[in-house]
Amino acid sequence: MIYDPPRFLPGGDRFLLIEFGDEMTLELNFLAQDLAAQTAAQKLTGVIETAPCFATLLVHYEPDEIDFADLVKEMTRLYEGVDIEGDFELPSRLLSLPAVYLDPWTEDAMKKYRDEINPDKEPDPEFIAGLNDLADVDQFVRVHAGTEYWVAALGFWPGTPFMMPLDPRCKLVAPKYNPPRTFTPKGTIGMGGSSTAIYPVDGPGGYQIFARTPVPIWDMNRGLPQFEQAPYLLRPTDRLKFIPCSVEEFEAAERQVSEGTYQINIAEYQKISLKQYKHWVSGLDMEQRF
Amino acid sequence: MIEVIKPGLESSIQDWPGRYGYLNLGFPWSGPMDSWSMRLANVLVGNAPGAPALECQFMGPTLKFNQAAVIAVTGADMQPKLDDVAIEMWRSVAVTSGQTLTLAFPKLGARTYLAVAGAFDVPEYYGSKGTFHKGGLGGVEGHAIQAGQSLSVNTGNGQAGRQVKEGARPHIKTDKVWEVEVVRGPNDDWVDDAGHQRFLSTDWKLSSKSDRSGFRLDGPDWTFNERAHNKLPEHGSDPANIMDQGYPVGAINVAGQTPIILVNDGPSMGGFINPYTVPQCAFWKLGQSKPSEVYQFKEVSVAQAQQQARDIAALCTEASIEQV
Repeated sequence: MIYDPPRFLPGGDRFLLIEFGDEMTLELNFLAQDLAAQTAAQKLTGVIETAPCFATLLVHYEPDEIDFADLVKEMTRLYEGVDIEGDFELPSRLLSLPAVYLDPWTEDAMKKYRDEINPDKEPDPEFIAGLNDLADVDQFVRVHAGTEYWVAALGFWPGTPFMMPLDPRCKLVAPKYNPPRTFTPKGTIGMGGSSTAIYPVDGPGGYQIFARTPVPIWDMNRGLPQFEQAPYLLRPTDRLKFIPCSVEEFEAAERQVSEGTYQINIAEYQKISLKQYKHWVSGLDMEQRF
Repeated sequence: MIEVIKPGLESSIQDWPGRYGYLNLGFPWSGPMDSWSMRLANVLVGNAPGAPALECQFMGPTLKFNQAAVIAVTGADMQPKLDDVAIEMWRSVAVTSGQTLTLAFPKLGARTYLAVAGAFDVPEYYGSKGTFHKGGLGGVEGHAIQAGQSLSVNTGNGQAGRQVKEGARPHIKTDKVWEVEVVRGPNDDWVDDAGHQRFLSTDWKLSSKSDRSGFRLDGPDWTFNERAHNKLPEHGSDPANIMDQGYPVGAINVAGQTPIILVNDGPSMGGFINPYTVPQCAFWKLGQSKPSEVYQFKEVSVAQAQQQARDIAALCTEASIEQV
């Protein structure tokens, strides 16, 4: 559902949160991305930065330059000029990342959680498969790896992607850990709500976990050429595909990463249009699963 | 150069307002938790109010000056001493080469700021010199200061013998109860009337599991509106879950049932609701409170919160300085 008009919500003395709607769709994120781009292009007085997420845009403003009511007016004006239908396109690189599903490392992290925090926690892949009416964990892997993911936002930690599946037949749901894990290995792939993420560094976490990629998405040490300009790999509006691989392939890739010779598979030249995407989705047989 | 003899507890270089402009990449602002005290320390020694200074928390560092300098110590009273002789807080002081500055545990408050005339010379990273310790970026080699490091300082023209007028300093509470301003929103419509009343009438206790990313609060459970219980699955299954969204700095983030105030190094995005936000004018109170102290939240409007930030900024100027 798209709100008309969007909801303008205050966040303290320096923030405005704009809610465009109440569901996870490419359309709502297109609205957020485009409004962010318009705001930056028009150099709106008093706007310091924006952060789009799935169906929201967070705006950080300087109250000495614009007050809340005027900011809402300005953002409404920009919103009314946004046209994401038609031939509107966003740049979208496609990255292919190898990933070991049902891997030994996330299994260790789950075991640690059962040993130290909650002995009754069902293993995450089985749990997600059951919750989403899938036959078994193998089908879960086929469904999860069977779609491109849309990087709707980076956040939580620098460079961490919040992603949604572009193939609606691959949309899964999962609750978050309660209480959270104290340890998750770097490169872990997990999901919470309907969002999929990659953990950029070792750390605590709340998503259900089930796979791991050897490709770094955060590197302060510039180990690979992709990190020479910036410590993060992914950008909002990228697309990402997980290519299931074996533990041996993972370890070989990990060695190449540490030697600085790993080639990250990135198709740089692509674009995505909502019109074409919607056309593709309308032709899908939603009963079909992988 | 200033040599770090003992680093203290995650003492870090911070500048104000911090790392603005990169929330969409997930970089937090960082910056000082009590920017009121830090700005005044800088003004005392002739720096720009937002220049990089050292934030010391709970246990202060020991620093040896291998050059003459003019310094000022503000914020929590860590009983600063130069070569074992007590020096005044809130005052610019001349240091001669070879002297050692010791900061101890705070008698009152939690965070102390050390400014040096000319300001600490550290590289700028993504628009700020401030440290994001957990992320390993900014400040000195990305982290809190370490024993054995040398901190360099730019040339300054500070003068000793200046002090901050009594009325221009933040008043650190002695009764361990803080009235903290909050602005309602952005996700206030997920909480029911009883939940709002409870939030504003409870004595919330600051948990020891708090740091520069988040301040956890102990108190009663939350109750929610229909919207929190009856929602699309992409929001998540817990009543406090919402489809991932940007988090305002200062958001009171309801993680299941535990409210966590997201502060300077906090996450920029996530999947829990934020029914209230602590505005910038109240951050110094967060910065100066210790675990087990009590917060009572007081609702103010957006415009009131903005005016209070202006009032504090007006105090962080030369007009607040007098000669001793």
